[in-house]
Amino acid sequence: MTDGPTRIPGQRAAVIWGALATILVVVSTIGVFLIAPEDADQGIIQRIFYFHVAIAIASLVAFAVACVAGILYLRSRDERWDDVGEASIRIGLLFSVLVVITGSIWAKASWGTWWVWSDPRLVTYLIVVLIYAAYFVLRSSAEDDRKMRYSAIYAIAGFASVPLSFYSVRVAESFVHPVVFTSGGAAMPGTMLGWFVVSQAAMIALFVALLEVDLLGRRSERALRRLAMRLESA
Amino acid sequence: MSGGAQYVVAAYAVIWFLVLAYVVMLGARTARVGRQVEAITRMLDRRAAEESGAEPEKVEERP
Repeated sequence: MTDGPTRIPGQRAAVIWGALATILVVVSTIGVFLIAPEDADQGIIQRIFYFHVAIAIASLVAFAVACVAGILYLRSRDERWDDVGEASIRIGLLFSVLVVITGSIWAKASWGTWWVWSDPRLVTYLIVVLIYAAYFVLRSSAEDDRKMRYSAIYAIAGFASVPLSFYSVRVAESFVHPVVFTSGGAAMPGTMLGWFVVSQAAMIALFVALLEVDLLGRRSERALRRLAMRLESA
Repeated sequence: MSGGAQYVVAAYAVIWFLVLAYVVMLGARTARVGRQVEAITRMLDRRAAEESGAEPEKVEERP
């Protein structure tokens, strides 16, 4: 007879973060659509802002986590940090694609065009997306330790593009893409800011939940591979 | 729909569709690992039964 199912580390964290993300996403969706006041200038279209900006910030957080994981991998050569880095970039890229799509929809609704090539924020953000998409091309071109080492270095170097995107709109003084958050504070009423904070918390929780589930899957696969190898050699 | 509501619906539909697709992808991987765990469990049970000379214990099918 075999023992009961082995508990893989991180199961509890995945469940807790999954539940927290679900609650926050439901609450923020209700708040954004039913409670938050309508913008006097843009009307209902402005409601895209709450998740569009929150996902954009969450994607940059994901890339920051990948950068830190890259540094920790190079210091320790622990493959778990490689897992964290790859999973973070995968989720960050998913979020980035969502930002580009929702941004285009918002642009079409308010500017009448899907894309503005002359806007520094849009173009630099697209560059960030392409840089992180290339990460997976790099990973598929190397094996084992070299793959992990190159990926870690790329994740650290790639993160340099994030401040470029963040500050581009301020440096270039774009008149097309609005700057809501400045050093002087947020250019919106308190109620809107409140629901934006809830949306931001929801997106960060969603990132952590997806990361935990992804890492859990990787740990399970690794444990399973080791077990299968032991069984074959026994 | 008026006042650009269709754009808001489209934006949120894209968000939830892609996030859900990603969750389904993660779920499919977890299910695959689960199937492999069951296969290894069956293999272990068979081996244990062979070593003890008894009939292999039938593994219950789970829904």
